[in-house]
Amino acid sequence: MDYILNGFVEAFRLIFSFDPEIIQIVLLSLYVSFSSTLYATLIGVPVGILLGINTFKGKRIVSRLLYTFMSFPPVIIGLFTALFLARSGPFGQFQLMYTPQAMIIAQTILVTPVITGIIFNQAGTSGHEVVQTGKTLGAQKWNILILLILELKSVIMIALVTGFGRAISEVGAVMIVGGNIRGFTRVMTTFIAMNNNMGQYSVSIAMGLILLTISFITNSILYHFVMGDQNENRG
Amino acid sequence: MKIEAKEIVKTYQDKSVLTLKGTHHHLVFEPGKIYGIIGPNGSGKTTLLKIMAGLIPMSSGNMLYNNQSLTHQTMTEMTYSSHSPTLFSRSIYENIAYPLRIRKVDKQMIDDTVNGLLAEFELNKIQTQNAKHLSGGESQKTALARALSFSPKVLFLDEPTANIDPKSIRIIESALKKRNHHDNLTVIIITHNLSQAFRLCSHLIFMDQGQCLFSGTPEEIMATSDPIINDFISYNRF
Repeated sequence: MDYILNGFVEAFRLIFSFDPEIIQIVLLSLYVSFSSTLYATLIGVPVGILLGINTFKGKRIVSRLLYTFMSFPPVIIGLFTALFLARSGPFGQFQLMYTPQAMIIAQTILVTPVITGIIFNQAGTSGHEVVQTGKTLGAQKWNILILLILELKSVIMIALVTGFGRAISEVGAVMIVGGNIRGFTRVMTTFIAMNNNMGQYSVSIAMGLILLTISFITNSILYHFVMGDQNENRG
Repeated sequence: MKIEAKEIVKTYQDKSVLTLKGTHHHLVFEPGKIYGIIGPNGSGKTTLLKIMAGLIPMSSGNMLYNNQSLTHQTMTEMTYSSHSPTLFSRSIYENIAYPLRIRKVDKQMIDDTVNGLLAEFELNKIQTQNAKHLSGGESQKTALARALSFSPKVLFLDEPTANIDPKSIRIIESALKKRNHHDNLTVIIITHNLSQAFRLCSHLIFMDQGQCLFSGTPEEIMATSDPIINDFISYNRF
């Protein structure tokens, strides 16, 4: 038990020492995860809305595929991304392998179905009614899209935070395409995994606490937006 | 706006839910009148109303609006409101203002119009309340005020006073009569309330099993010998 307790003591010491390497790892993690969540949002929100509100042949198959991709193992996504980005792969000429950009690509592929799936589900239920109502009030396509985004803003926020949570907590994909290179592609999760393998539990616990804090902050922001909106609704 | 529904057929998964054929295969809705569509549940009333409002496609037939097919311009001159209206997650004031905002109406004009409607529908005390959390009557009044805000030429209503209090019903009926009288608004309303149909409408359409069995004045429907219509009326006597 002592080593766990000592691990926590050492963790707090590390956090408050403001170690430049730790700070760099945290910042890189945030940069990669925020970037991938942003790209996934730009793709997933409109695609989810369009798939949700429209009726077309093969919609069931699309929804099944989407839900399957939502739970796709990160290592598999990392593996496929690596195959495409590797020097001998189709995109090898861009030399992206083992760079933060490769990590962003892998995480975008990982997060996009999560965001698309959540939006798709909600747009399919309440989105259709919003579209019909917008039409009856004389709204044009552009007005309806803005109306849908505003009406689904709570769900979009939930999708965004869920996607960010998946991005920042995954280790498999970034380990494969990033390579955990010190000072270049090392992020919080790969750092924890590496130190755990080396038996350095204190630094793993320290980074775990930072991850938990970030998770708490993002969830608090979500709570503020979603619950704030619901309280306003009760007006 | 004159609306004509000619030999409209609507099928869902190979099952016919609406077929305008026989004597009443061609329905004409003249501008400035209030039409009532009555009939038992599942008779195709809502399907017909939604087709006329351009919300669902017909399987076959012909819809004409002032002798022309449906265009986006025509859509902007008509509106539809159901018994369970979709109100937006914003204040009552903003819900009513929405059709005017998308038409880029001047701010002062929006304010004047919305305040007038809030007063008419007795919603001014709760105008800042979010429309997602209103009672049935308040929701209906908000939806109708929103529908009327941009002065449409045609108003399609699907049971707008179902399950709401008598005072709200009186306010809604009064607003409809006023718009019809002063602005020449055409109203096509589905109702299960025969006394309301007689109070409001100059023309009634009776539907049963996807077909139109009667089209005429309230006096004519009372004099009909059709057993299905007589049976419906006897159960809905006021």
